[in-house]
Amino acid sequence: MQPHRSPAAPFVEIRDLRKSYGRGKIPVLNGITDAMAKSDRLVIIGPSGGGKSTLLRCMMGLEDIDGGKIVLDGLNYIECQERGRTVIDRAVQRQVGMVFQHYTLFPHLTVLQNLILAPLKRNGERKPTAIARAEALLSRFGLAEKLKSYPSQLSGGQKQRVAIARALMLEPKLMLFDEVTSALDPELVAEVEAMISELANGGLPMVVVTHDMGFAKNIATKVLFCADGVVMESGDPQTFFSTPKIKRTQDFLAKILHGNKV
Amino acid sequence: MGLEFSPSVIIEYLPALLRGLRTTVLLSLLCIVIGLVLGFLVSLMRSSNNKILYVGSTVFVEFFRGTPVLIQLFWIFFCLPVILHVDLGVFVSAVIALSLYMTALCSEAFRSALLSIGAEQKDAVVALGLPRWASLLHVILPQACIRAIPNLLSNSVTLFKESALVSAVGMADLMFQGENISNATARPIEVLTTVAAIYFAVGFPLTQIVSLVERRILRRMAI
Amino acid sequence: MSDYSFDFYYVLSGFSRLLQGLVVSLELTALAIGIGTFSGFILALATSSPIRVLSIPARLFVEIFRCTPALIQIVWFFYCFPMLANVFWSPFTMAAIALTLNLTAFNSEAYRAAIQAVPAAHRDASVALGLSKWHQAVHVVFPQALRIASPVLVSNSISLFQQSSLVAVVSVEDLMYEGKMLAVETYRPIETFTTVALIYFGLSFPISQLVNRIERRNARLLA
Repeated sequence: MQPHRSPAAPFVEIRDLRKSYGRGKIPVLNGITDAMAKSDRLVIIGPSGGGKSTLLRCMMGLEDIDGGKIVLDGLNYIECQERGRTVIDRAVQRQVGMVFQHYTLFPHLTVLQNLILAPLKRNGERKPTAIARAEALLSRFGLAEKLKSYPSQLSGGQKQRVAIARALMLEPKLMLFDEVTSALDPELVAEVEAMISELANGGLPMVVVTHDMGFAKNIATKVLFCADGVVMESGDPQTFFSTPKIKRTQDFLAKILHGNKV
Repeated sequence: MGLEFSPSVIIEYLPALLRGLRTTVLLSLLCIVIGLVLGFLVSLMRSSNNKILYVGSTVFVEFFRGTPVLIQLFWIFFCLPVILHVDLGVFVSAVIALSLYMTALCSEAFRSALLSIGAEQKDAVVALGLPRWASLLHVILPQACIRAIPNLLSNSVTLFKESALVSAVGMADLMFQGENISNATARPIEVLTTVAAIYFAVGFPLTQIVSLVERRILRRMAI
Repeated sequence: MSDYSFDFYYVLSGFSRLLQGLVVSLELTALAIGIGTFSGFILALATSSPIRVLSIPARLFVEIFRCTPALIQIVWFFYCFPMLANVFWSPFTMAAIALTLNLTAFNSEAYRAAIQAVPAAHRDASVALGLSKWHQAVHVVFPQALRIASPVLVSNSISLFQQSSLVAVVSVEDLMYEGKMLAVETYRPIETFTTVALIYFGLSFPISQLVNRIERRNARLLA
């Protein structure tokens, strides 16, 4: 039985999320609590090992959690119950999509086959409809002529855009992007970020982990700074980047900005 | 002692040698096919969580990889009939022994291919919400089979070479024909060199094909 | 099984003969390994030498021994070499030569990959055979290539130990030969052949497991 959602409730709610590796010896998430509205585009930044990717993986249901709860659109999604068992509502999980740093396209299938596999086998969609939708999606993002290509024939940017399209085929309510441009050559980053921006402008709720501060400023409606497994600071992009409140955030931003992003 | 090299011996007995080659090739093909199929099944057992299946299949594989093929052949030829109270004959013994050996080799090829599939593939499958059977059938197993092809091909070449052992239990393959003709004509140099050349003429192109396929598959699968 | 009574007593009394055969097998193996570990490196240098007169015959040598059955190699040496070279050495010597050459060929492939993994060595290696920077190749390249190639070299050696069973076919009195004789004489193939198989396994398996363990530990350390 799912609780009735009141209209003022947030779209995604994370309550005191905890996770550690090695039976509690290596804590990674130390009580993350946050909420986002349906219109939110959440960008998470922070140092490596601070728990950003782990948080995303937990939100996708790829990892077990050791404490806390995630609620999506008023429905109990992931919960850590007594005796440390992680319970994931599979129906809700199917409404979340994720794209990874290393594309993870299926190398033995063509682009088209990659896109229609899940709709066919998971949703039981009919093949002609799925193919039509796939073609429309690829055309929309300028990948139409790659329909019959294999992943090994694509550039990094194209692979990543296909990966995003593949996730979009399932019409997720929430999209998670885990450092999707970190593995790309610099000149290929723009096309992927453009695609994500277009999706953002279309109103798709998303959580993005990125090192690219310019991109973060562009699409975020809310920024989280995540370090040591907790949310250290959060805010809207304008104030966050211009006047960060705590020193840790300031140091981090200073280091990043002195790098080559923005 | 003068050595007279007489190619006429080769020409005269070439048909007999080629008959032996035919037996070798047919036997090899049969055992390769059986070994591929059974090897796949055994590799599933090796990857299963069932303790009995895992231990049984592991013992099987380690034993057939850790002992000489000749002893396996002798065991099947001499011992199995005693246990089963059935006279197996040379052909059946040879097929059983070589097939079991090929099974052990191929199961390892499949298994290492399965293990080489990165964890990210499994992440992608979860992120797409693919049901377990669909991910196995359409994502994991096809990739495992494709990745296993180079090893499976080189296992096939190995089996072709090991097939020469069946001559030791009297099966009329290329090796057996060669030995007999060499003894009968007392011209071992011409005959045995020809036999070696025939094996080489088949084996060498096969190994080149294996290298070629390996390169092309690695490129396609972007490993 | 009612008329076949298991009787390991017979095997026990013949066990000393099996052990004598094992000693011969180990002698052959040790000889082949002792020489093949070094000759394989030299052959690898030859195959990658820019001097065509060296590299082409070397490559041919490697391919012949890789693409033909070990059995034909052993049989050929046993029958043909004495006639060609006009010498009459014992079957043991013939078998030892064949096995050593076989191992050399396989080892050279392992070394070839290893030498390429040692960056500056490639230059040194080809120079060594072109000119006389011999000492550099030996003292600098060889130890490093040996270290890198050692897992493959060890598994080649284990394979050779098992292939050594083939010399029984040319009446070299190794473990397999003694086993077959014992089985035939005592009418107890099951006990005898099982014991022989276990001896081969008991020597091969622990070593290959050790190599696996070391390889995995090295991979973990490097990762």
